[in-house]
Amino acid sequence: MTGAICTTTCEYGRLHTFGVGLLSFPRPNPIIATKPQPLSGCTRSIPLSTPLTVSYGGRRRMMTMNAAATDTLQKGIAEFYDESSGVWEDIWGDHMHHGFYEPGSDVSLSDHRAAQIRMIEESLRFASLSDDSVQPGNIVDVGCGIGGSSRYLARKYGAKCKGITLSPVQAQRAQELAAAQGLDGKVSFQVADALNQPFPDGEFDLVWSMESGEHMPDKTKFVNELARVTAPGGRIIIVTWCHRDLSSSEESLRPEEQQLLKKICDAYYLPAWCSTADYVKLLQSLSLEDIKAADWSQYVAPFWPAVIKSALSWKGITSLLRSGWKTIRGALVMPLMIEGYKKGLIKFAIITCRKPAS
Amino acid sequence: MRLLTHNMLSSNIKGVTNGFPLRIEVEKVVEKEVDFNVDFLRNMFAKIEWKALAEASRTMGYSELPDDAESSMLDSDEFLRKFHHALLELHLEEGALVCPETGRKFPVNKGIPNMLLHEDEV
Repeated sequence: MTGAICTTTCEYGRLHTFGVGLLSFPRPNPIIATKPQPLSGCTRSIPLSTPLTVSYGGRRRMMTMNAAATDTLQKGIAEFYDESSGVWEDIWGDHMHHGFYEPGSDVSLSDHRAAQIRMIEESLRFASLSDDSVQPGNIVDVGCGIGGSSRYLARKYGAKCKGITLSPVQAQRAQELAAAQGLDGKVSFQVADALNQPFPDGEFDLVWSMESGEHMPDKTKFVNELARVTAPGGRIIIVTWCHRDLSSSEESLRPEEQQLLKKICDAYYLPAWCSTADYVKLLQSLSLEDIKAADWSQYVAPFWPAVIKSALSWKGITSLLRSGWKTIRGALVMPLMIEGYKKGLIKFAIITCRKPAS
Repeated sequence: MRLLTHNMLSSNIKGVTNGFPLRIEVEKVVEKEVDFNVDFLRNMFAKIEWKALAEASRTMGYSELPDDAESSMLDSDEFLRKFHHALLELHLEEGALVCPETGRKFPVNKGIPNMLLHEDEV
């Protein structure tokens, strides 16, 4: 990718034309720390999101945040996805999660959709739900994106599915896709908060959280709500990004690990991370049964390099330039995800359990 | 938002003991045809809070549902068609859902309810 002329429309609706030089991924520090410059001709500057002061990986503190900071985070999340969902869908389709790949396999760009579907199927299998005799009838998709999982699960099980997201743009798009696919009566989407789900207790026999847990500022509350809306005998499936488990002598992650996570958090509107062990403890504290957890990092390794490659394609770059700063910043931070995985700091985790029948 | 969805939403505002059912404020109702499926309706009947459905349906301008219903009525085609229409074919496009205890309004725009709570409601 060498030189090219691009036109783009900035956030204030002005069309700008400029040359694009060789795009290389810069050292993380300077880019993240720099305030983005307004495109020439724009008179307003684009503010950096408010930095969140949270703790990273503190063993005893369970990652809480005050109401004002939560509000800021949620607005950031909503805006990030309002802005980015279109770009993602355009290039990757309607599943906004990692693909599941055979370790060491050679993966081409066309394999990714199949891998994303495999991720759903492997997750169901891990939770002992791929047996034909077990059919959930009422499903909630917590952090549903544009509804990829919701529509897939509704179709697979002939079930009703409700999806919740903070992003009005996503909810709208999810509903459009459902209607277009004839699923309008089976799946519905609401703008709602996973930490305060607008559903009665025990409503759902499958509670599905596919890569949304990392956005939750209060893991305790998040897990409590998941458990609350699960019907007796129902199952919870959480697939999420965690940091490595702490050893018994550690109180928190090492400073350089915390620094790396912080950069990722700022770009993706993530609050403090927790470990897989933390999730297991939370589920145990709620007397949930059959708790299983696994590290699937080796099965998702091809994903980020593939996303980066797609971002660097012509379509990727022009789409990014047409989106906004939040999306671009998200793209720039992708190599940090690879770094985190390589260092054994970031884990792709699955945690499942079952609510007791009575 | 159809009434099938409304029948499963409740207000989770801090301090509210019974946030169900949400009252409906109508600004725009749209009717969209949906394929009639008897098995689906029979299946759903047990899970529906009937009074809430009947009340909501009236608010949306459709008063054909009886105030009370029991499963024997599922044998009647006429009843099933009314049930079908109210549950699946009436859409609140614009309006609000109102917490029955606090009166707080959750907006509905383009058919999507926004159930997010404010800082002080959590």
